[in-house]
Amino acid sequence: MKCVLIASENAEVLFYWADLDFEQSIREQYGALQEEGPMAFEDSINTLFAPIIISCSTMIDRICDNYTSFSTENNHVYVLQQFEECLYIGVCGDGEENEEDLKRKIYVLKKLIEIHYGMVTLSSSLLRKELRPHDRDQRNHLWRKFQSLLGTYSHLKEQDQSFLVEAVERLIHPTLCEQCIEFLERRLVQQINSSTERAGEEVLHAFILVHTKLLAFYSSRNASTLTSSDLLALILMVQNQFPSNSDLEDMSPEVSNPSCCFVPFLHFSEISPYSICVGPSGAEQDYTPVFQFVDPDIQMAEDSLQTLEVPPPDPSMPSRVFLEVTSKDGFCPMMPHSMYCLTLWPGITLVLLTKVPNSQLATSVYFFLDSFSQLERRLNEVQDGTSVSRSQHSLHDLRNKLDKFIRALSSSDIQVRELQNAWAEFKSKVFSRSGPGVSRELLPCCKNMKTCLCGVYRHYFLVETTRSSQRLSSSLQERAQQSVQEKLLDWKDFLLVKSKRNITMVSYPEFPGLIHFMYVDRTAGQMIAPSINVTDRSTSELGKGPLAHFVKNKVWSFVEMARRYLQKGYTTVTLRDGDYYLCYFLWFENETGYKLEVLDPPTLRDYSAPIGMLASDYYRKLLRYYSKSHNAEVVKCYELLSVHLGVIPTEYILQHCCQLARKLWEPSRIPLL
Amino acid sequence: MAETTPPDPRWCTYFFLFDGSKVKEEGDLTRTGICYFYPEETALEHQEVLCSQLAGVCRCVSELSRSAARLVRLRKLKFAIRMRDDFLWALGCAVELPDVSVCSFLDKLIGLFGFYNGPPRLSYQIDPLLLLKAALILQACHRCPLVLAGCILYRGRVVSTQMPPELTAKVLVHECETHSQYFFKGSNFKDLGPLTDGLASSSGLPSSGRVTSTPVFLTPSEVRDLRHPPVDRPHRSTCPPLQSNRSKPRLLSRTLSDTPAPDTDDHCGPGASNQTVPCSMRSSFSYEACVSSGASPAPGGSPLFSPDYLAEEKGGLSNGLQEEQKEEELVEATSRCSVSSKEGTQVGLETNDFGEKVEEEEEDGSSRGGAERMRQEPMDSERPQDDWREAKEERPVVEMALYRHRVRGLVLALLVEPQFHNDATALEEVYHSSLASLNGLEAHLRNPAPGLASAQGGPYIFAHYDCLQNTLATNLPASSPPGGSGSPHSAPFIKATSLLHAHFCQAPTLQEIIVRNAGSAVYGTRSVAQETYFLQQGTTVRNSGVPNPQDSAFTLPAKARHKLLKHGVNLF
Repeated sequence: MKCVLIASENAEVLFYWADLDFEQSIREQYGALQEEGPMAFEDSINTLFAPIIISCSTMIDRICDNYTSFSTENNHVYVLQQFEECLYIGVCGDGEENEEDLKRKIYVLKKLIEIHYGMVTLSSSLLRKELRPHDRDQRNHLWRKFQSLLGTYSHLKEQDQSFLVEAVERLIHPTLCEQCIEFLERRLVQQINSSTERAGEEVLHAFILVHTKLLAFYSSRNASTLTSSDLLALILMVQNQFPSNSDLEDMSPEVSNPSCCFVPFLHFSEISPYSICVGPSGAEQDYTPVFQFVDPDIQMAEDSLQTLEVPPPDPSMPSRVFLEVTSKDGFCPMMPHSMYCLTLWPGITLVLLTKVPNSQLATSVYFFLDSFSQLERRLNEVQDGTSVSRSQHSLHDLRNKLDKFIRALSSSDIQVRELQNAWAEFKSKVFSRSGPGVSRELLPCCKNMKTCLCGVYRHYFLVETTRSSQRLSSSLQERAQQSVQEKLLDWKDFLLVKSKRNITMVSYPEFPGLIHFMYVDRTAGQMIAPSINVTDRSTSELGKGPLAHFVKNKVWSFVEMARRYLQKGYTTVTLRDGDYYLCYFLWFENETGYKLEVLDPPTLRDYSAPIGMLASDYYRKLLRYYSKSHNAEVVKCYELLSVHLGVIPTEYILQHCCQLARKLWEPSRIPLL
Repeated sequence: MAETTPPDPRWCTYFFLFDGSKVKEEGDLTRTGICYFYPEETALEHQEVLCSQLAGVCRCVSELSRSAARLVRLRKLKFAIRMRDDFLWALGCAVELPDVSVCSFLDKLIGLFGFYNGPPRLSYQIDPLLLLKAALILQACHRCPLVLAGCILYRGRVVSTQMPPELTAKVLVHECETHSQYFFKGSNFKDLGPLTDGLASSSGLPSSGRVTSTPVFLTPSEVRDLRHPPVDRPHRSTCPPLQSNRSKPRLLSRTLSDTPAPDTDDHCGPGASNQTVPCSMRSSFSYEACVSSGASPAPGGSPLFSPDYLAEEKGGLSNGLQEEQKEEELVEATSRCSVSSKEGTQVGLETNDFGEKVEEEEEDGSSRGGAERMRQEPMDSERPQDDWREAKEERPVVEMALYRHRVRGLVLALLVEPQFHNDATALEEVYHSSLASLNGLEAHLRNPAPGLASAQGGPYIFAHYDCLQNTLATNLPASSPPGGSGSPHSAPFIKATSLLHAHFCQAPTLQEIIVRNAGSAVYGTRSVAQETYFLQQGTTVRNSGVPNPQDSAFTLPAKARHKLLKHGVNLF
C-alpha cells in the first residue's frame, strides 16, 4: 500500500509510482466509473491528490508554511516535500515505511531525476517536458524506468547494508584489489583513451562491481573525485539494469520459512517489472514463479502494457548521467558523463564513466545560472524603487562572459537563438539609458535567462545525445569487456562467493558476545560490516532463518534510531533492547588517527533532509561544519555500530567497541585508487 | 475574567473546532463552520485559512486512506486532529513535541473542552504525616452518607484523593483554573458555565464565602464505582469490616487502623520525607497507596503490587489508556503544562456544558447545530481505531454536586449527592468536622520541611513516572514559567527525555538507553510500570565521542540507582 508521486504547481502529476495494493485501493474508490487502463488510473490519482496539492500552495501563499506530513488513525503516513516548483508526495499504508523512510525515498527519487536530467531540473517547465512526455508510450516507458529504479532502491535499502547506511562497501581483498586497479589503469583506461575509436570521449573513471560491492576503482589523473552520493546512485542504477540473481538463487522451494524470503522479493518484483524487459537473459524465467502470486487481472494489464513499450535500447549505447565535478575550470554539480555498463558475468559489472565532448559548456551554463540566481536574490532583497548599484561591476563581468559564450555557440539551434533574444532583452533593460536599470523589474528577465540557459544545456546534453550515435565504438567496448574478463576469469567464482561473505564474524574471535558491527568512514564514504545472509541456504554465524532475520531487523531499526538521535545532536547512543545491547558512536579524527574533541552536531528539524550520503550529503555538511573549528587539519568522521548479547557486562561491551574501532581503522586505510 | 495568561504557546498555539457540514456549498463562508477558535484574537481571515485548509486536506487524506486523519505536520507547527463526522478538532502546537503526547493532549482537551489550564501535577513532595492528616480529613467527611468521595488539593496539586484519577484530574483542572484565575476565553464559550462562576449558589451552605458548590455530571460507570467501590478483592481481605451503618453506601476511605502508623514504621522517618505522593489509581487505594509507598521503599513488597492487583488493573484499563496516562505524565515532566483528565469517558460533562453555553450564546446562530450534535455524539478517545465515520451513541450522565471548601491555597473538594445541599445537618457536620483540620493542614503545607524544595542547581535531575501508582516524581525546578522549556540547565534534560520517551513508546522491548553529546548525557530506563530519566550535572567530560569505557556517561545507570534511592525510586 505505497505510492510516490511528483506534482507540478498546476497540480499535474509529473510522475507516479504505486504498488498493486495502492492501485487497487484507488481503483475501488474511484475506478468503478472509469474505464480500465493506466491512463484512467493516472487521472484518478491526479484527481484524488489535487486537493492536497492545491492546499500546499495555498498554505505557502497564505501562512508561509507548508505541510510536511500527515498520518491517519489507521497509521497511513503521507510525506510531502516541495523542491522548487515540484511537490513530491510519498504514501505508505502498510506500516513498512515510516515518515523518515518516505522522506528518504523522496530524496532518492529527486537524486535519480537529477542524475538523469542534470540542470534541466532547475527549470520546472523543461523538467515537466522531460518527465511527462506527450506521447503516452514514451511516458509509460519513462515512468516505468523510474518506477523500476525506485523498486530497486527499496529492495537494496531493505537487503543491503551499504544501502542501509549509504556508504560504499568494498570487497576486502587488498592484493586482488591492487592488481585490478593497476590493470584498470594500464590495460584499460590508458588503452581506451589512446584509441582512435573513442569518438572524442575520454574515460575518467573505471570501476568493477561485484553485486553492490566495489572490487576496484580507478580515476584518471585529470578526473575530479567522484562523490559518494554519485557513486552510490550509479551502483543503484547498475543494480537496476542488471538485477542480482543472488536473491533468486536463494529462493529455492526447500527454504523452510517462505514468508521470510518471498515477501520482500515479491514486493521487489511488483515494483520493478521493467527489469524483466531489460534484464539479462535468464532473469525473465527467474522472475516467472514470482508472478504466480500476482492477481491475474493485473498480470494481464501488465502484459498489455509491455507490448506498448519502446523496445530495449541498443546495449552498446551509454546512459547519460550528470555527476558533480570540481575542476580547475570551476564547479559543476551536474556535469554530463556517459556511463557504459559492461557485464562481465552475471553479478560482475565493469563500469566506465567518460567525459563527453563539449562538457565544459556545462560548467559555463552553471556559472551563468548561478550568477542569475544571485542577481535574483539581490533584487528580492532591495526595496522597491531603488536599484542595485554595487553589483554593477559583476554585471559588466557577466555581460562580457555571456557575450563571449553566446558567440561561441552555433546560432543555428533554436535554443541558442532563444538565449540570444533573452539576453538582448536583458541587456537593453540593464545597460541602455532608457531601460529601468537594475531593479525588481528585472526578475522576469532573470527567470527567462535561466530557462533559456537550461534549454541550451538540455539541447546539448539530453536531446542531441539521444539522437546522435556519439559513443565509444562497439568494438572498443567489446575489447574492454574481454580484457577484464580474461583478467578476472580465475577469480570469478571466488568473487561471487566473496561478495556474500565479504567479512564474517568468525574473523573476530577476540570479541566474545559481539554479534554484529558496522564501521563507516564518512570522509571516504565507505563501510565495513560482516555479511548478514538471511536468504542464504548455508548457515551463517547468525544462524539461519528467524534468528538471522531478527538480528537483521534489530540492526536496521537501530540504524534508523541512531540517525534520529544524531539528527537531534547526540553522537553516542547505547541501549538495551530485549536480549541485546546496542551501541552507536560518531567521532572525528585527524589524518593521523588522533581523536578530536567532540562537537555537538546541529539539531535539525524533523523535515530536514535525511541523514545519509546517497540523496543528501549530511556527512559532508557535518564535516564542513566541524572543520570550521579545525582549519589547520584534515578532519575525518567515523561511525561504529555494535550489537552485543545483553548478558555481557557493559564495561566489556564498551571495551570491545573501543578495540574494534582501533582494529578497523587499519583496513579502512586501503587506498581506493 | 480578571487576568488571562495565555497557555504555553508550545503546547497550544491553536485549538479549534470546525463543523464541515456548515460549509458545503460553493458560497458558504468558512467562518460559519468555525465553532470555536483559540486564540480568539486570531484574525478571522487567518482562522478561515487554517480551518478550511486543514479540513480540506484531512478530508482528502481520510478518503484516500479510509481512516480519519490524526496528525498534520507543517514546518513550523503541527496539528493533532480528531475527526468525528463533520466535526474537526485540531490542536496546533510546536513541532518538537512528541506526536504521541500531542495526540493524547488533544483528546484530553476535547474531554475537558474549555477547562484547559496550567500545571496540574499529580504529585507533590510532602511529609507523609501531612498526608495522614489529609486522609483523616477526607475520612471524617466521608462519614456523611451523602458524600461519595473527596480529595484535598494544595496549589493545584493533589495531597490526597479518594477518587479515581480521571475524576481527580477533572476536579484538579477546575481547581487550578480557579486558583490561578485563567483559562480559555473562547468567543463562544466565554463563561465555562456554573463550574467556575456563581459557585455559592446553593442556599444551605454555611455563611462562608470559602465554601462553594456546583453541579457536575458523572457517567453511570463513574457513579457506580463511587457507590460500589471494588474493595472486595482478595488482597484486601485483611481489611477490618467497616463499622459504618449498613444502609449507607460503602465508604471508600480507610480507617487509620488499616495502615501502619508512621511513627511505628522504620522506613517512614525523615529519609522518606521527600517521598512522592501518589494519586491513587482507584479511589479505594488512595490512602493505602500513599502509606505503602511512603512506608516501603520497595513497593514490590506492597500488597498494592500483588499479581492480583496487576492483573485486575490490566484488565480494567486498556493498554492504550495506560499509554495515554504515561504520556500525560511525561507531558507534565517535559513542559510542566498539562491537563490531567485521564481520558474522555466523562465527556457528558463537557459536552453538556458546552451545549448549554452555545445555546446561551447563540448570537451568530452558527454553532448551535454543532453543539447539539456534539451532545449526541460524544467523543470516544478510547477507541481511536473505530471507523472514522461511525456515529457514536449518546451516553446519559448523572448529576452530582461538587462541594468545595477553600482555606487559602488548600481546597477540600467533595463529590456529593445533589440533595446534600438541602440537608443542613449534613452540611454543618461536614463543614465543622473539617474546618479546624484544614486550617492546620494548610499551615503545615505552607511551610514545607527544609531541604524539600526543588533541586535547582543540584547535582542531578531526574524524573520518575509510575503508571501503577500514577505518580510522577521529579526534582525539576517547578518555578520556571510554564511558557518556557525550563531553565537553561534543565533544557538538555527535557530535550533528551522527550526523545527517549517517544522511543520507549515506540519500541516495546527497549529497556534502557543512554544518549550523549558534548554537553550532556541522559540515562533512561523503563520497566513494565515505570519510566525513569536521569541526568548528572557538571560531569561532562569533553572527550572525542570515540568508544571509551572511561566515559562518565556509562556510569549513569549506577549513579541513577544510587542517587534515586533516597527519593524512594528503586532501580535495582
